[in-house]
Amino acid sequence: MGAPRTSTRPARRYALPPVALVLLLFAASARAEEANQWLARVAKAARELSYVGTVVYQRGTRVESSRLVHLYDGGKETEKLVSLDGPAREVIRNMGEVRTYFPDAQVVRVEPRTFRNAFPSVSSEQQKSLAQFYDFRALERERVGGHIADVVAFEPRDGLRYGHRFWSDVDTGLLLKARMVNDRGEVVEQFAFTDVQVNAKIEKAMVEPSWPKVPPEWRVKQLSAGDVEVHETGWGATRVPAGFGKIMEGYRKLQGRKNPVAHIVFSDGLVAISVFIEPFATASVPLGMRPGEGGLNVYSVKQDDNVVTVMGEVPPATVRQIGNSVARR
Amino acid sequence: MNENLSRLMDGDLDPSELDSLCGSLAKPDLVATWSCYHVIGESLRGSSSIPCGYTARFAARLAAEPTVLAPRTRAATPPATWIFAAAATVAAVTVVGWTAMSVIGESPAAVAKASEAGSLSAARLRPSTVPADYLLAHQEYSPATAMQMGPYMRAVGTQPAETPADRP
Repeated sequence: MGAPRTSTRPARRYALPPVALVLLLFAASARAEEANQWLARVAKAARELSYVGTVVYQRGTRVESSRLVHLYDGGKETEKLVSLDGPAREVIRNMGEVRTYFPDAQVVRVEPRTFRNAFPSVSSEQQKSLAQFYDFRALERERVGGHIADVVAFEPRDGLRYGHRFWSDVDTGLLLKARMVNDRGEVVEQFAFTDVQVNAKIEKAMVEPSWPKVPPEWRVKQLSAGDVEVHETGWGATRVPAGFGKIMEGYRKLQGRKNPVAHIVFSDGLVAISVFIEPFATASVPLGMRPGEGGLNVYSVKQDDNVVTVMGEVPPATVRQIGNSVARR
Repeated sequence: MNENLSRLMDGDLDPSELDSLCGSLAKPDLVATWSCYHVIGESLRGSSSIPCGYTARFAARLAAEPTVLAPRTRAATPPATWIFAAAATVAAVTVVGWTAMSVIGESPAAVAKASEAGSLSAARLRPSTVPADYLLAHQEYSPATAMQMGPYMRAVGTQPAETPADRP
């Protein structure tokens, strides 16, 4: 969305004196610090507040709304998300576990929810790349879902990543709206509260599932991302965009696979890109580009006897570029 | 008439035919064909936004469709339409194939078993959906997870009823 750029600095016609240059460099690192603090506050607020509201999720031309209830009580989070349009879906998230109910198919899916990446990043290298590869700016305040919101933008300095804009509640820091845009300024994906009560009084019953843990006659589908063993894999990607540092490399034991799958993760401090490599013969992966799951793009390509899959919240061209550059080191 | 619709979408329709075609677009079955072509086009371009229930309805209609063995007359179909028609068929098969795979393809082992059975060609047996365990593994590191917004909101929004088991 092409909101007008509000330039805060007047154009300079003369060369910068050295002192000013030093000040600018200092300002850049202050920016990185500011961006990091902002992210930290928002991530914490999302976890440690109790709130209830209606969320609209938009990707491409699709719009869906859900009711979200989030309870933070005694250091524990419980969350219930119920779809309001389309087929009925209900997601219950407790510490470390996500249960999704599909009443039409009579399936309940159980999956772990683990988060292994410190966010915002604690590594100074990633904090630096955040400031180097995105232009972080605070924009004018706006109203979202009945609340006054601080608006910040992370605008990419190259075409290899998406632009991000966030709206957070001025009083509590709760993220009220998040938007990802491509290089043409089009919305790739967006979440927004249309109404939300923060610090609301939430009863336990409001975050309980509408069905028993496993309803009789329903099928349970257990998912797992497998254990990860950090280890050199011998694989590398030569065309990972600058600013994406490797944050993990290892092997995963995935369900139903004879061989462990190599998994390498890169991050620029704002998004992550995963690279998976497994033998072609046993891999159950569709080849080619799989765009369209909102901002998450996936590309799989056969490299000799292996399938390389790259996924991340970056443009299709970026996952393709990385996928095609994966080779044994 | 359907060919004219297809030509209209491709920008190949003669302007003189436009008025009569727009007039006949009031008919419900032609409107359905029109939207169907758009869904196919979108999914071919990768900007798929297939409405819920579409696949099921499409599969039912495809099953009910008689197989036409009579040869076509050449002049009736300009080359562009042939290409489009071929592409549309591929898309249709893919859509139906995906649904089938999602039901069969619970695990790589199941896929391998189905492959041995040889009832479908190997190419068709590559599943359409990205393995859910890949997505889960990625989410463990995706900052969107920390912001609480991304992954499972996507999940609720994107899961069609046909494939609950294999989507994130």
